[in-house]
Amino acid sequence: MRGGNRDAYAELVHRHAPMAMRTASLLGAGSDAEDVVQESFVKAYAALDRFRDGAAFRPWLLRIVANETSNLHRAAGRRADRERSAWRRTEPLLAAELDEPAAAALSNERRVELVSGLARLSEAHRQVVTCRYLLDLDEGETATVLGWPRGTVKSRLHRALRELSETLPASLTATARGHDAHATEVDHGA
Amino acid sequence: MAPDTAYDELAADLATLGRALPRPAPGPQLTEAVMGRLADAPSPATAAPAPRLPRWVLDRVAHRRRQAVVVSAALLVGLLAAPPVRAQVADWFGFAGVIVRNDPTPERSEPSPPPTVRAATTLGEARSLVSFTPVVPAVLGAPDGVEVSGDRRVLSMSWTGTGDGTVRLDQFDGRVDYTFAKTSPDVLFTEVGSSSALWFEEPHEVAVLNADGTRRFETARLAGHTLIWEHGATAVRLEADVSLGRALEIARSVAAIP
Repeated sequence: MRGGNRDAYAELVHRHAPMAMRTASLLGAGSDAEDVVQESFVKAYAALDRFRDGAAFRPWLLRIVANETSNLHRAAGRRADRERSAWRRTEPLLAAELDEPAAAALSNERRVELVSGLARLSEAHRQVVTCRYLLDLDEGETATVLGWPRGTVKSRLHRALRELSETLPASLTATARGHDAHATEVDHGA
Repeated sequence: MAPDTAYDELAADLATLGRALPRPAPGPQLTEAVMGRLADAPSPATAAPAPRLPRWVLDRVAHRRRQAVVVSAALLVGLLAAPPVRAQVADWFGFAGVIVRNDPTPERSEPSPPPTVRAATTLGEARSLVSFTPVVPAVLGAPDGVEVSGDRRVLSMSWTGTGDGTVRLDQFDGRVDYTFAKTSPDVLFTEVGSSSALWFEEPHEVAVLNADGTRRFETARLAGHTLIWEHGATAVRLEADVSLGRALEIARSVAAIP
């Protein structure tokens, strides 16, 4: 390995590690997220020559992270079991109590609804929602990370949102209630 | 298909949830662990050729390094003993300041022109953002690019297309450590006003440290002619393809941003 490349790659690792960690843990790596990320960076380095010049590094790396994460659950057996195994690790992260400022932006009730809605989605729908919204990737990045055509991302995202909004108890009202509660709180404190 | 705006609130709530989630931090040893495993990999001579980072990655990293200067507020200037030699900075110092050290490693290389600074802010705004009293060299006129670091400790400016080519000036809340330079044959001691100044005639390596001292990326770019001095409590670094005389002229014209 040439010196300059080594340092440049170390810089890339340092830069992208936090997002790689988030991606791994939200896609189901749980406490193995750091191992997954380390493995992903090693594999990404070996695959750099296959990397298209000018493409964005982040989604390309995150796709490797997503693949490594799903490899974790290979031992879980059938597909349905693997998917459940991934969600079992992710759900506690989403269900954890939020910090105070975050809690102000999203009522606890609404958060519980969202998480239970996500729990009812199929794994593919949950993944697309996770990438697009929880990880805040754009559609193109989501397509790269999940390895799907962009049209598939669009349609699955749409279906996932529709399904979520149908399973959530009167989502619009709940949101409005959340906002009201927040507003009232602010008024109260003022 | 119904327009996605039907789910705007839902999408917004999901995004809020995503932002509010705890962020699992990578362990402090992650980069070292990865780089260690890469070092252990079979050498290029016995296995497949080592992958080379695409040009854009290096460019991007170089760009990020410039940003890193900004966040770290610690500059390390590694200097070559034998000209023109590429320095391998073997040690690091975890404080904000400029450090000069000798580290001869025989590898010839050409210095690159100073990286330009993007026009992120104005001089007036920059002055109000930083905690020190920033200066600007009167003889160069208004800079084309001005940028303040995220932690507001470093202010960078650049001028392009001047009679002096591209000129870059970085200043930060820090000191210059002159001790190492005293033993370096390639550093010329001079003066800017009442401050000692260091003139780097030969190409030398400029590396960036994190202020917390936890990481270092010692190889940065090879810089050309550079003058470093202190102005009050501020360390100032001027880089341009100019003579020492011209560099001093520019340096002596610095004044507080009006």
